[in-house]
Amino acid sequence: MKKFLLFISLFAVASLTSNEASAQIKAGEGQVTIALESNSSYYTKDKTLEDIGLVVPEKRIRGNFGSNDYLKVDYSLGRFSVGVQVDGYLPGLYGYDFYDYCLRDSKLNMFLSKYVQWEGQNWGVRLGDLFDQFGNGYIFRAYEDRALGFNNSLAGARVHYNYNNMVSFKALAGLPRLYDVRSKSTVWGADLALSISDMIGWNNGIIGIEGSYVGRYQKDAAIKFPVEGGMFKGVDNDILNMVSGRLNFELAGFSLRGEYAAKLNEDIYNPTKDAAKGNVISLDLGYNYKRFSASATFRRQQNMTTFIEYRPMGIGGGNSMTYLPLLTRQHTYSLANLNPYRGSSVHTGGEVGGQIDLYYSLRNPKARGKYWNFHANFSMFNTLDHYSKMANMEMKGRNVWIDANFDVERQWNRQLKTTFLYSFQRWDEEINHFDSPHAHYCRSHIFVGDVTYKFNKKHSMRAELQYLASNDYEGDWVAATLEYNLAPMFSFYVSDMWNCEKMQDGAYGNYFMDVNTYEYRHELLHYYQVGASFTYNSFRAQLSYGRNRAGYVCSGGVCRFQPAYTGVNLTMTLSF
Amino acid sequence: MKKFLFLMVALLVGFTASAQSLPDVKVENQEGKLVSIKELADGTPMIISFWATTCKPCIMELNAINDYLPEWLEEVEFKVVAVSVDDARSVSRARSMTSGNGWDDYICLYDKNQDLKRAMNVSLTPHTFVVDGNGNIVASHSGYTPGSEQKLFEEIKAIK
Repeated sequence: MKKFLLFISLFAVASLTSNEASAQIKAGEGQVTIALESNSSYYTKDKTLEDIGLVVPEKRIRGNFGSNDYLKVDYSLGRFSVGVQVDGYLPGLYGYDFYDYCLRDSKLNMFLSKYVQWEGQNWGVRLGDLFDQFGNGYIFRAYEDRALGFNNSLAGARVHYNYNNMVSFKALAGLPRLYDVRSKSTVWGADLALSISDMIGWNNGIIGIEGSYVGRYQKDAAIKFPVEGGMFKGVDNDILNMVSGRLNFELAGFSLRGEYAAKLNEDIYNPTKDAAKGNVISLDLGYNYKRFSASATFRRQQNMTTFIEYRPMGIGGGNSMTYLPLLTRQHTYSLANLNPYRGSSVHTGGEVGGQIDLYYSLRNPKARGKYWNFHANFSMFNTLDHYSKMANMEMKGRNVWIDANFDVERQWNRQLKTTFLYSFQRWDEEINHFDSPHAHYCRSHIFVGDVTYKFNKKHSMRAELQYLASNDYEGDWVAATLEYNLAPMFSFYVSDMWNCEKMQDGAYGNYFMDVNTYEYRHELLHYYQVGASFTYNSFRAQLSYGRNRAGYVCSGGVCRFQPAYTGVNLTMTLSF
Repeated sequence: MKKFLFLMVALLVGFTASAQSLPDVKVENQEGKLVSIKELADGTPMIISFWATTCKPCIMELNAINDYLPEWLEEVEFKVVAVSVDDARSVSRARSMTSGNGWDDYICLYDKNQDLKRAMNVSLTPHTFVVDGNGNIVASHSGYTPGSEQKLFEEIKAIK
């Protein structure tokens, strides 16, 4: 808490000094830019959720306060730049992978990253912490996602060179970050991109060929890890080699992007399974014609999850050196996102599926304040045939996820806008819990209505009503939000979400076991929120209080599990 | 650590403020070619807006600007640059959305590994910058509430 207060005072001083939003600090000929971000929660007691076991305060081993804070300072002078970032977990927020898996077990966890960089006209070099990705990221991606608490930056060196856009080359090597320490693994790689269209001087479209190689060395990787019920086959090599080949083509509104990537050595893709080679193939198709556009993605992947380091328990989402995101639509409405797809390959090693998006807009170019936007999306994923250790049998691939959804947006005039969304989702509940040979499908129908009304240039209001109808899982849900905005500085909102399944006795809610008496009791749970936000130029603060349902927080196709909690949240960002 | 924070505070207090300029970072354009954000500053002021396919307020803001754009352009000349920070998996969706939303007058850029986002210190989307013709950032805004696009227009008009 002390360090957090120190951080807050830094925020205050910074806000005062930067009375001009875009204020920037001149140091000699160069410039300094600074960004601050603070996400804090204070967890309050919630007797109801604790009695039915949805909140277990003992699991919050770092106390009732958490704060993930980031301070980033960069200095640049012409083509030269240097920077640092301090991540402060004071202590970390509950529910982020970092909370459970940080390797230095302390209440105040700090991590410092730094770099120096020279960016020339055609070439560049960077030393220190770096972020990069090759192609879709199937064999290498170093990135940061603060919503997930994810950062696997590579501490090392990178050089890149570009020749007239025809040839670009990149090479890098370093030690990946694993939560709050540098991993013992070493990662290196190179990427080459050739633009055939630039080479032959073809200007009507794009033809590109790209290829990458990535290696990972881990000392004593060949150790066989003991797992429950005996040993399992480890790997016999300390080095993992991975390659990727890609093709890009674009012509007259049509685009095609394909990638094939493979692990050339056996690798442990799941801590409780045998090592295996892996591969992935993906295809992206896009088409645009006037106000109509369509895109489709297909992907099949097998054993492509790649850890930074082998760990007997996997140690969470942060232990990843690649990017294999979910391709389903990431919904923004809470009920449409109540039980999102979170992948089946963790249990089964692979999946095959895809998704299609169709967009059509009906608008008069002369009256932009009025339009219809139509969007339809369909996604489907199946498991591959595989051997299940858990069930001790060969299992056939089966469908584990379907989402068929559409939304219609209507801007009636400058005052009124309405949105309607419908989504049908069907998922295999059993595959989510264990590698079950039985299919158990849960189906839900989600309806959302959203209305924004602008009274004038300053005042506006937004109301949102959602309903989830289902005979499976937890049954029906309702959610409602009311938001009032005072542009450009203030916004206030209240929302509630509750499980309104009708029980046999006619009451609404669900049955839960009381952890004190071991008896079932009936509860109608409300997940309420009340909040306000304040914005002044590049400073933004949001304060909210409420009860949060246990569920998945997804960002960029990657999800983390957030246990239920009740409490106060404060988020602040500032940059200059 | 404490010393470091105090040093930062000293830095903040010690230096004088002036306009920040655009970083030299390359991102993909609508055609999939790499362009430098710095080279977009060609004498015409611009609004740079960071958005994502899963960020509703971002899309609302860009739609609101698009709605007022013809009227605003009658008064003052400027460009709008929409930078999608979507990951590789959603870039095709982002491309579809730009044409679906009729953002034909925008310069659409795709920052797949968030290099530009990081260089411009964008923590949360939407985040909007107002940039003068020489590439100096004159204003920066985080978040969107309906109606706040008017402030952007006032700032663009204020550029001499």
